[in-house]
Amino acid sequence: MIYSSLLFIYGFLPLALLIYYAFPIKYRKAVLLAESAVFCGMISLYYLGFMLVYAAVNYFSGIAVEKYKGRRIAYLPAVIGIAIDFLTVVLFRSAWLSPLREKLHIPEFFFPIGISFITLSAIGYIVDVKKGVIAAERDFSMIALYFMFFPRIFMGPVMHCRKFASLINSRKYSFSGIGAGLTIFVKGFAKKVILADNLFMLCMAVDKTELSELSAITAWIGAIAYVVALYFTMSGIADMGVGASMCFGIKMPQSFNYPIFSPRISYFSIRWLVQVKRWFSSYIIKPLYDLSADRFYRVIVTVFVYGMIGYWYRLNINGIVFGFLFAAAVLIEKRFRDPKTMDITGSVYTAFLIVLLFVVFRGDSLTYSIKYLFAMFGGNRVLMDSVSVYLLRCYILVILFGIYASTDLFRNLIMRSGSKKIRNAFIALSPLTTLVLLIVCTALISYSGISDNQMLIL
Amino acid sequence: MKNTAFRITAAALLVFILLFNIGTVLRHKGMLSYHENRKLEPMPEASVSSFMDGSCSRQLGRYMTDHFACRSLWIAASADIQANLTESIVNGVYVSSKRLLNADFPETFPTDKAASSVNRFTSEHNGAVYFVAVPTSSGVYSDELPPYMTVNYEREQINAVYDSLDNRIRTVDACNILKMLNDHYIYYRNDSKWTSYGAYCVYRTVIQKLGFQPVTLDKYTINHISDDFYGNLYNRTRYTKAKADLIDIYEYPEGARVMNCTKTMSDGKVVQSGQYDIKKLNTGYKYDVYAGERAPVTNITTDVNNDKKLLVIGDSYVDCFIPFLVQHYTDITVVYPEELEKPVDEYIDTNDYEQTLFLFGIDSIGRENFFENINN
Repeated sequence: MIYSSLLFIYGFLPLALLIYYAFPIKYRKAVLLAESAVFCGMISLYYLGFMLVYAAVNYFSGIAVEKYKGRRIAYLPAVIGIAIDFLTVVLFRSAWLSPLREKLHIPEFFFPIGISFITLSAIGYIVDVKKGVIAAERDFSMIALYFMFFPRIFMGPVMHCRKFASLINSRKYSFSGIGAGLTIFVKGFAKKVILADNLFMLCMAVDKTELSELSAITAWIGAIAYVVALYFTMSGIADMGVGASMCFGIKMPQSFNYPIFSPRISYFSIRWLVQVKRWFSSYIIKPLYDLSADRFYRVIVTVFVYGMIGYWYRLNINGIVFGFLFAAAVLIEKRFRDPKTMDITGSVYTAFLIVLLFVVFRGDSLTYSIKYLFAMFGGNRVLMDSVSVYLLRCYILVILFGIYASTDLFRNLIMRSGSKKIRNAFIALSPLTTLVLLIVCTALISYSGISDNQMLIL
Repeated sequence: MKNTAFRITAAALLVFILLFNIGTVLRHKGMLSYHENRKLEPMPEASVSSFMDGSCSRQLGRYMTDHFACRSLWIAASADIQANLTESIVNGVYVSSKRLLNADFPETFPTDKAASSVNRFTSEHNGAVYFVAVPTSSGVYSDELPPYMTVNYEREQINAVYDSLDNRIRTVDACNILKMLNDHYIYYRNDSKWTSYGAYCVYRTVIQKLGFQPVTLDKYTINHISDDFYGNLYNRTRYTKAKADLIDIYEYPEGARVMNCTKTMSDGKVVQSGQYDIKKLNTGYKYDVYAGERAPVTNITTDVNNDKKLLVIGDSYVDCFIPFLVQHYTDITVVYPEELEKPVDEYIDTNDYEQTLFLFGIDSIGRENFFENINN
């Protein structure tokens, strides 16, 4: 079951809310855990079993690490726990290990959804306990909820267990909170169904042409559509998660902050899946930086960590190369960029670079990416053909609107507008726009009942 | 202000969601959909294995989708929104006010498998074998599809199949004939199949190969028995901007008559039937008028007294082709491999026929194991 499906929106969500609010406040955490278990169980019982075992492994290694705190033996449970977490993600996601998966007869549906996010959470938890930053969680239900909380499964956000516990324990119930949650949920639903799915369809249309026959304009359309579609897929799913959890009185942080048109390339990485970059900064970059202040050493560390982040996303060579190139761009920018450069130029070159870098990111092999980049710069000696004209004519509205929606211009229009009237008019209209968006999106998924392309399985 | 707005949002959305939730639960759950012409998903049955692998909840999702309150309205709205939003492709169908065209082509095409089955059939029989692969409307009107879709896709498939056929098999290039005539009403606007007229145009060539002179068009009286046929492409989209189709029956008053028509059902039972089944005009798929209830084998005898027998192996493209063939044969047997549950020789003796005609839509040949049961 995924968020953008009729079963979730018109079945699971309203029922879960009704049951949740029917119980007195002191039981609601247990209800939430039970509902999350049902959600996981509906993906498959194997998945539920996996999650429970996974939670138990981390729960016990946390306790063991704490028990031997300060002694060298504490490394043992920590290393074992981290190794298990790490191996699970590699085992399930790496393309190189697919022959092994076949040998073990691991069925297709057993793919643990959201494993990449869960792994980061789990490793972070054990490291924190080991360092003594937090106490090991004694309440298994909290750990289980930490891993299984259903609005967090698909797109994080990755956060400290303590932070999560405090969010759970500081639930705030209000009817307007449900309204705010539903507004965010529907916004995410619309991002996914109206923008991402259509732009993804555009990517597929571009992919129908052989790489060696791709005209430059078509290649650019495809590359831009990919970045924007990926952004709206991921941020749409993230918004649906945040919105759904807000309906239960839990306010999770947002994961995306208008990354594509950041004024600097280095800002992109901290605005795109905010918590993931933060995780790598605090658990990898910082400890490595602390070892030496040598400039050259730190450059190497930066390149290495970006490569790692790229690998985390894609688990293939393209991801690593993407990370290296990204790090190079960040370092060059740091060295040469005049801090006074205007925001607008920065946003344009960031967007331009991001489009190029994501051609490397998306490929399943480097050859593909190189050939695609070659086509983008006119290597096939065709600037424009009937396909480009057709695609531009059909998709121009969605492309332009997608680009506009991935900037912060609209938010600024509302937030910074001096006139209170505009703001109030916008607020007054919001119930209607939300309802209309829900109706349009429901219509768009009504045939298959689901909008399930995730572009990138994490 | 903000909180009031959010409260209104909460109230409006929750009411809306609950309304459709309850509406879906209370809705009368039919088994068949008229507009979509298909069986609807039944309520999943709980079992340990279906819970284990999650198939139970996936089926529940499909069940809820199929029985969602006001489903047909939602789908019609979706077609309109989708067609205006970006490309006019709705659920894999390219829609325009002129016609609907299938735009969802399979990635792989098992040419070899199909050809080798037909070759084997030919080598095991003494009679002459004829093979006609008919393009779908997407093949004939490929110019109307978006430019990035391979224009000659079906043409290439047909050539590939023909190239791998045994030399003894005689083929007819239906694709060329139909493409030349594509400003006539040879294909339905809302269905991927040919009309009776399309079938007639190909019949003229095929029947000469089979050794007869075709009946000229002026001898036929054409009855429009329906002018509101919406076909399989409409079923997938509920897009109503293309005009409804006509269903025509070609009658040759001075010609031969059908004397008897029987069907062998999959359980081996033989039942009497008429040449047409006019009752099918009241169903969601009026094209079934031509062949009636689906059965693996249909046998037609006529008052033509040349004692010639023809075996036709094909799919639904055959249905409106048969009325033209009855003018030339005493006995015609039609086999639908799709409906066969056991090898064809358990129903009839295929060696009885001097001539065998394979006639298919190219999309059928692409189906896995389509010809599985034509050989022992």
